[in-house]
Amino acid sequence: MLVSLNWLKEYVDIKIPPFDFGEALTMSGTKVETLTVVSENVVNIFTGKITKIEPHPNADKLVVCTVDMGTDERVIVTAAKNVFEGAIVPVAVDGAVIANGTKIGTNDFRGLLSYGMFCSIEELGMNSDLFAKEIMEGILILPENTPLGMDARELLWLNDVIIDVELTANRSDCQSIIGIARESAATLDLPMADYKTYTAIENTDEIADYLSVKIENSACPRYVAKMLKVKKIEPSPLWMQVKLINSGVRPINNIVDVTNYVMLELGQPLHAFDYHSLQSKEIVVNTTTDKKIITLDNKERDIDETMLMITNGKAPVAIAGVMGGENSEITDNTTLIVLESACFNKGSVRLTAKHLGLRTEASSRFEKGVDPELAGIAALRATQLFLEIGACEVIEGLIDVYPKVETLKKVTLDINWFNAFVGITLTIDEISNMLSRLFFKVAKISEAVLEVEVPSYRGDIELKEDLAEEVARIFGYDNIPGTIMGGETMIGGKTPVQKFEDRLKNLLVGQGYYETLTTSFTSEKRLHGLNTELEDNLIALINPLGEENSIMRNTLIGHQLEVISLNYNRKNPFGRFFELSNTYHKNPNSGELPLEEMMLVISAYGSDDYFELKGMVELLLDQAGIKYPEFIAGGSEMLHPGRKAEIFVEGTKLGEIGEIHPLVVKNYELPKRCYVCQISFKALYGCASIDNKFVDLPKFPASNRDLAILLKQDIPAASIETIIRKNSGDILESIELFDVYTGAQIPEGYKSLAYALNFRHHQRTLNDNDINPVIDQILSELKITFDAQLRE
Amino acid sequence: MELQLKELRDRCLADLNAVDELKTLDNVRIKYLGKKGELTIALKGMGKLSNEERPIIGKLANEIREEIENNISAQKQALERKEIEAQIKEESIDVSLPGKKHQAGNLHPLTTTVNELKEIFLGMGFSIAEGPEIEWAKYNFDYLNVPQEHSARDLQDTFYCEDDIVLRTQTSPVQVRVMQKQKPPLRIISPGRVYRFDEIDATHSPVFHQMEGLVIDKGITMSDLKGTLDLFAKKLFGEQTKTKFRPHQFYFTEPSAEMDVTCFKCGGVGCKVCSNTGWIEVLGCGMVHPNVLRFCSIDPDEYSGFAFGMGLDRITMIKYGINDLRLLFENDLRFLTQFK
Repeated sequence: MLVSLNWLKEYVDIKIPPFDFGEALTMSGTKVETLTVVSENVVNIFTGKITKIEPHPNADKLVVCTVDMGTDERVIVTAAKNVFEGAIVPVAVDGAVIANGTKIGTNDFRGLLSYGMFCSIEELGMNSDLFAKEIMEGILILPENTPLGMDARELLWLNDVIIDVELTANRSDCQSIIGIARESAATLDLPMADYKTYTAIENTDEIADYLSVKIENSACPRYVAKMLKVKKIEPSPLWMQVKLINSGVRPINNIVDVTNYVMLELGQPLHAFDYHSLQSKEIVVNTTTDKKIITLDNKERDIDETMLMITNGKAPVAIAGVMGGENSEITDNTTLIVLESACFNKGSVRLTAKHLGLRTEASSRFEKGVDPELAGIAALRATQLFLEIGACEVIEGLIDVYPKVETLKKVTLDINWFNAFVGITLTIDEISNMLSRLFFKVAKISEAVLEVEVPSYRGDIELKEDLAEEVARIFGYDNIPGTIMGGETMIGGKTPVQKFEDRLKNLLVGQGYYETLTTSFTSEKRLHGLNTELEDNLIALINPLGEENSIMRNTLIGHQLEVISLNYNRKNPFGRFFELSNTYHKNPNSGELPLEEMMLVISAYGSDDYFELKGMVELLLDQAGIKYPEFIAGGSEMLHPGRKAEIFVEGTKLGEIGEIHPLVVKNYELPKRCYVCQISFKALYGCASIDNKFVDLPKFPASNRDLAILLKQDIPAASIETIIRKNSGDILESIELFDVYTGAQIPEGYKSLAYALNFRHHQRTLNDNDINPVIDQILSELKITFDAQLRE
Repeated sequence: MELQLKELRDRCLADLNAVDELKTLDNVRIKYLGKKGELTIALKGMGKLSNEERPIIGKLANEIREEIENNISAQKQALERKEIEAQIKEESIDVSLPGKKHQAGNLHPLTTTVNELKEIFLGMGFSIAEGPEIEWAKYNFDYLNVPQEHSARDLQDTFYCEDDIVLRTQTSPVQVRVMQKQKPPLRIISPGRVYRFDEIDATHSPVFHQMEGLVIDKGITMSDLKGTLDLFAKKLFGEQTKTKFRPHQFYFTEPSAEMDVTCFKCGGVGCKVCSNTGWIEVLGCGMVHPNVLRFCSIDPDEYSGFAFGMGLDRITMIKYGINDLRLLFENDLRFLTQFK
């Protein structure tokens, strides 16, 4: 919200520099984002009246103006087209600087000297967003009654500082000059000036002859209406226009400007109807079954029966709290106006504005909440202004439909509790004083307890904790000391699972893998690219950000492939990645939250092959204390049918590993060979046994035997190893496959697997009598099971 | 005899001098000192000497033997040194040639940041709590005191899976779950993934990360909140860091604040990183709202506590000077390899 410091100063005598003021406001809870001087550079621009315009003897496009500057007269040569005799304009005199920093001096225009320059809005540095193009292009023409020789900086508030404040959602009462003034007064401990309202004693209820108001919906807690006779629709006075401009609002005419002025000043949105266009003597506030309304901005809006409307009893004339209807708009011919100062529920206005996609200054204020008490005050303030600027005459009487007046809340505050809660020691008088500065009415009901009456506009204050914040922020958060927590000593620390996660990550990093971070979303299309049937336990979002983000991912593999694809296409020649993250699945039990399963995915492309990745996985399993994982051919459709395996530990499936299927390679624009392994973290942790226990170092030597086994090519090596292990018993210390051979000397369709077996007994030295029978047994079972034999 | 011995010694020393290889050195030793060596044989002839001569010659013979042995040993050392020198000379390498490549990966910078934050709080006795990302709306909103009609609940702000199930918009539901399950005293942090309905751009992402902290105990004060978070800031950004607490508003805390830290880049003078303010906004915090305590069956008259929350992606970006949030989720190796 933009706040004019000059306007604010009319209520609070702020003497400290703007920057310090901004800091003080921020530290008391009204966050100041920026402070901007309207026109920092501008100097020496004064008002002057063009008394005579003559053609330039040497140039068709130039004219020569004689200008009355109040104290002297000077000649200005200009090319501007909108100047006329009698016009009062801003004149940049010798030594002036305009908004963009250009210095103005006396210049020769085709043989005639010009002693300065007329200025446009842009040259003055005023908010150019608010003006139409034709006004922007010409010289700014000031009102007829503007005094001559006045400094434009002061007249047009070019010296004003615009404060951009960020308000929190609970402080709707600060959405106005008055609201910020209250905070300023409390923060700086200064008094606050009052504003004038219409207070004339009225003897008649003339308004009743014109109008009655009915509220038929609880979304409108109060509706105040005042009627005025329009004297003349014309531009509002310069001082009012300047305040609107510096608040970011475009001046329109004296009627509309007053409604906007009061909204900015007090925070109450107002609306003015053209009485005759209402074509009715009543106003009814309710929802309707109408389908359309044309709003003030000349747009047809689709409305429905959930939206609160202001009607003339037959048809809508305004969307309550959002925007007026074109059918009852103020025009140059308006002679009678109905001024609406009403309160609408924030929920109702929010939903209506949202459904219409129409947010206005009014709706955004109502959405945050407007105090119903304000409606009456604002109507009288606007009336006062209408009279003050000579725009209207009053029709006596006020309509005020206010079904349920809320009583003011009272909250008690125990100062001992307060001091203990905040960690400071303030006296009851100090606390009482700070609350009074914030316009709370405070009464001492005992030595240590205050009863605090909350102003109607402070809907956010309900509990003692709310008051604690009020006192603390006025006292200054920065003045609260920092202490170290007392209470019970807590050990804290990571759980075994959390430590295990760290171990996995560190191991992978140590082996050259990079951790990735990918989003949780996927889509049917992305999943189809994985060459797999869609699972029926996918979780779809009701309101996704586009189709490609419409489903919660049920696998990490897709995202890893996207990472590989990105890197490959950016010419990174190889890569190794991993991620430990959640996948999401429907819960088969209704009434329970979806399932989140943490998975570990590892992937590689470029220089690695299947066995490189498998080696990584084996190392990882080994480090998790898993002894004999099994890699059994098989796995999902996204993997290469001849190069994929499922990983089992004692019958429990951990996951799968393999090369990416050529079809998927195409779909994802991947390098020809990519490898991926996905493991369930829960299953892995379940199988892990990381109980480190010391075992005596061997005292007896080991015996080594090499076996070269000749067998059919399609028999998996793992099954040979299983047989060797099974028949060796405890004395087999290790087994290593050190050669796989096909080719010369090996029959077609066969292969030779060479194993190094290491036998050791912990109590004695093994000899041939121990080992030979084991070898025989191994060979015999290999022969029976696979028709495999020892290769001589 | 004496002459004979001296002549033998001279010959032996000359032989020794002539040896230029370790393997032939032993031949000299055998030739003179071996069982059938010249000196041994010569000494065998001692029996023939007279009683007067024998001790004199015996002494001389022993001296010569010792001299020869010393010389052999000295020559051995000299030859060994020579051999090593030759080996060294032959084996010299260009030490400036590059080493063999070893590969190490890296943790994602976000993880590194989270780890750093965890360490700080673990050291203060906090535990790490986790909870579901797909969460009941009541845990994400109601129990956190968010008003029923608040716009944060809209489809334009929050992702919904079902009418009453959302993708959590903050990690605060974890606090609620912990408070409902465990009795105070509590000190937890809950880092995790959260979601909001924002299109991805340089500073926003529909998926991002937060870490929240919660302390509940008897007699916890607002000054404890300040002290704890000030300590945290100094540990994360350096001892010289100053903090500033500005009043703010959150539904689940009252009083509430935002904490700024002095810009670690410029030290508070003002620079590009802090948009010339000298301060960087780091986290939101406050005293846990009594309604939230009551929702979790904790008596606010007996217990009090504070909570805080911060955006991890943002802190990561600030810490490393990363200028576009999208880089965190892109996983380009040229990005990932930068964070050791």
